[in-house]
Amino acid sequence: MVNGLIILFGLTMLYLSTTSRLIAHTKVLFVQGILLFLICVSGFSHASLAAIIFLTIETLLVKAILIPGFLAKVLKKTKTNRDTDANIAHFWCLLISSLILFGGLMFSMVHIPSLSMINPICFGVALSTIIISLWLITIKRKIISNVVEFITMENGIFLLSLSVAKQMPMLVNIGVLLDVFIAIYILGLFVSQINKELGDLDVAHLSDLKDCENND
Amino acid sequence: MISLVLVLPIIFCILMFFAKNKTLNNILITFYSIIHLFLGGSYFINPAILSNSEYFSLNSTNIIFYLVLSIVFFLVSIYNNSYTKNLEFDNKKMMHYSTMLLVFVLSMTGGILSNNLGLAWIFIEATTLASAYLIYFNKTKHSIEAAWKYVFICSIGIALAFVGIILLTIAEGSLNSLNYSDLISLAPNFNHFWLNVSFVFILFGMGTKMGLAPVHFWLPDAHAQSPSPISALLSATLLNCAFLVIFNVYKVMISANCIAYAKILLLVMGFLSLFVTSVFLYHTSNYKRMLAYSSIENVGILAICLALGGVAYVGMFLHLIGHSLIKAAYFLTSGNILELYQTKKIKSIKALGVVDKKTAWLWIFSFLGICAFPPSILFISEFLAIKAMIIQKHYFLCVLFLFLLTIILFAMAKVVFTMVFDNSQSKRVEDAKTNVKKLGCSMYYPQILLLVMAFVLGIYIPKFLDVAIIAAVIG
Repeated sequence: MVNGLIILFGLTMLYLSTTSRLIAHTKVLFVQGILLFLICVSGFSHASLAAIIFLTIETLLVKAILIPGFLAKVLKKTKTNRDTDANIAHFWCLLISSLILFGGLMFSMVHIPSLSMINPICFGVALSTIIISLWLITIKRKIISNVVEFITMENGIFLLSLSVAKQMPMLVNIGVLLDVFIAIYILGLFVSQINKELGDLDVAHLSDLKDCENND
Repeated sequence: MISLVLVLPIIFCILMFFAKNKTLNNILITFYSIIHLFLGGSYFINPAILSNSEYFSLNSTNIIFYLVLSIVFFLVSIYNNSYTKNLEFDNKKMMHYSTMLLVFVLSMTGGILSNNLGLAWIFIEATTLASAYLIYFNKTKHSIEAAWKYVFICSIGIALAFVGIILLTIAEGSLNSLNYSDLISLAPNFNHFWLNVSFVFILFGMGTKMGLAPVHFWLPDAHAQSPSPISALLSATLLNCAFLVIFNVYKVMISANCIAYAKILLLVMGFLSLFVTSVFLYHTSNYKRMLAYSSIENVGILAICLALGGVAYVGMFLHLIGHSLIKAAYFLTSGNILELYQTKKIKSIKALGVVDKKTAWLWIFSFLGICAFPPSILFISEFLAIKAMIIQKHYFLCVLFLFLLTIILFAMAKVVFTMVFDNSQSKRVEDAKTNVKKLGCSMYYPQILLLVMAFVLGIYIPKFLDVAIIAAVIG
C-alpha cells in the first residue's frame, strides 16, 4: 500500500515533466500533498498525537491546499497560462525523467538494503524527485514553473526524511514547515512584483545584472 | 543573558511596528548592537553570567564568529544612523527596513549561537528570508532581479544542506541527535560512506550561502544591489555564519577520521573561488560588484585554510576576523561613494581624492587592507596559509595561490587608483562635490575604527583574542 503510494508520487514527477500548462503544475502539487499525507498516515504514522497533528497540518493543509491554492491565485493574477518555451521537447523530458526515476530506484535497491532503517523505494523515489526537480528548474523558462519545481524538490526532501525510519527531531520538522511556507510566500510575492515590473514571467528578463555591462 | 540577545530584537520589532518613527528605529538598533557587543565582552570577563542553554551557547568555537558579528553590527548601526537620514522614504518603509535588519541580525546571531545542526540550519534559512527584503529595499528592476536570484539560489542551496542533514542522520546509525558535541564525540562510530555523502550536500548547500564557487552566482548581484550597510553585513557576517556550520561539520569529519575526501572538496572549491574572482574582477564595471567578488576570493581562502589544517587554522581565524573588519569598512566606504556620485559605475567615478579626501583615503586603506598589505591582519593569515602549503609540500598549490592573488591585487588596484587619482573633471564630479555635505561624521568613523582594528591586529594581537583563537583551533 505504502510502496504503491510512493510509486504514484514518483509518477507525478513524470507528469510534471511533460506538461506545459501551469495550472496543471499546481494540480500536481495538490496531488503530491495528498499522497504525502496518505504515506504519512498509512505507513509512517508516529506514536505521539502531536506528531500526527503536525504532519497532517504540514502535508494536508500546507502542501496540498495552501501552497497550490496560493500559486493558482498568483497564476490568475499574473494571467500566466503555459510554459511553452522549455529548452527540451516533452518526449525527451519524459524519457530523461523516467531514466532518473529508474536510476534512483536502482541506486537505492543496490546500496540501501544493507541499512535496515531505510525504506529503499521511498529513498529512491525521493532522490529521483529531488534530481528531476533540479533538472526541470534548469530547463523551464517561466518563473512560476521554477517555483513549482522548487516545491516538488521540497516534497522530495520531505519524502527523504520519511524514508529514514527514525524520526527527525520535531524542531527540525517545524523549521522546515515554516521555511517552506515563508519561502513560498516570499517567492509568490516576488513573482507578482516581477510581473508588475517586467510585464512577463520569463526568466530571460532576469539576466540584466552582468559584469561586462554597465548597470546602475 | 543569551536569551536576552535573542528576545530583545523581537520586542524592538514590535515597538518599531507601533511607533513608526525613524529616530526611534535608529536608537533601538544601536541599543541592541550595544547589548549584543556587551554579551560578547562578558564571555571574556565572566562566562558564568551567560547561562548557556541546551540549544544556544557561547563557547570556544563560536565566540570569534559572535565577536566579529557584534563589532561589525555595532559599527554598521552607527553608520546606519547617518545613512538612513539621507533616505527619502516614508516612516512605514523605514520601519520595514529597520525591523528586517533586526530580524536579519537575530537570525545570524541564532545561527552562530546554535549548538544544534538542525537549529543552525533553520536560522541560516531565516537569514535568507530576512535579508531578501533588504536586498529588494530600493525596489528597482535590478534589485528585484538580485533578490529573486538570492532567494531562489540560496533556498535551493539550503534545501540541499537539509538533504545533507538527513543523510547525516543515516550515517549516525542508532544515534538520534544533531547536537554538535554528540556528533563530534560519537563520530568514530558513524558510517563513513554516508558521512562523506552528507558532507558533500552540506558543503554545497552552506557553500551556496557562503558564496563559494561554483555556487556563488547570487553573491555579486545581491551585494551590489543592497543598501551599503546591508552589503557590509551580508559580506562581513552572513558568510561567516554559513562557514561556521561547515566548520562544525568538518570537525565531525575529523573526529570520524574521514577528511581526505572533504579536504579535496574544500581545496577545489577554495581555488575555484580564487580563479572565478581573478577572471571576473577584470570584467566588472561596478565597484560594489568588485567588492562582492573580493568576498568570494576571501571565503575561498577560508576554505583553503580549513582544508590545509595545522598552522593554517590560526590563519583561518585571523583571516575571518580581518576580512570581516576590512570588508565591512570597504562596503561602508562604497556607500559614501554612491552617496557622492549617485552611481555604481567605475568609469563614472573620477577624482575621488579631490571630491572627498576622507572617503578617498578610506577607499585606499580598505584596498590595502583587503590585499594583505602589511601590517594588515590578512598579511599574517595569508602568510600562514602559504606556510602551511609549504610545510605540507603543496608547492604547486602555493604557486597557484600566489599567482591568483597577484592577478586579483592587480585588477583591484587598477580600479581603486583610477577612481581616486584620475582627476579628469566632469559634471558628475562637480555634483559629487556638492554632495559631500550629505555625509555625516558617522559615515566616516565606523570605517576608521574597523580599519584601525584590522591594521593594529596585524601588529599586536591582544591576549584575550590570542587565547580565544587557540581555544577555537584546539576545541
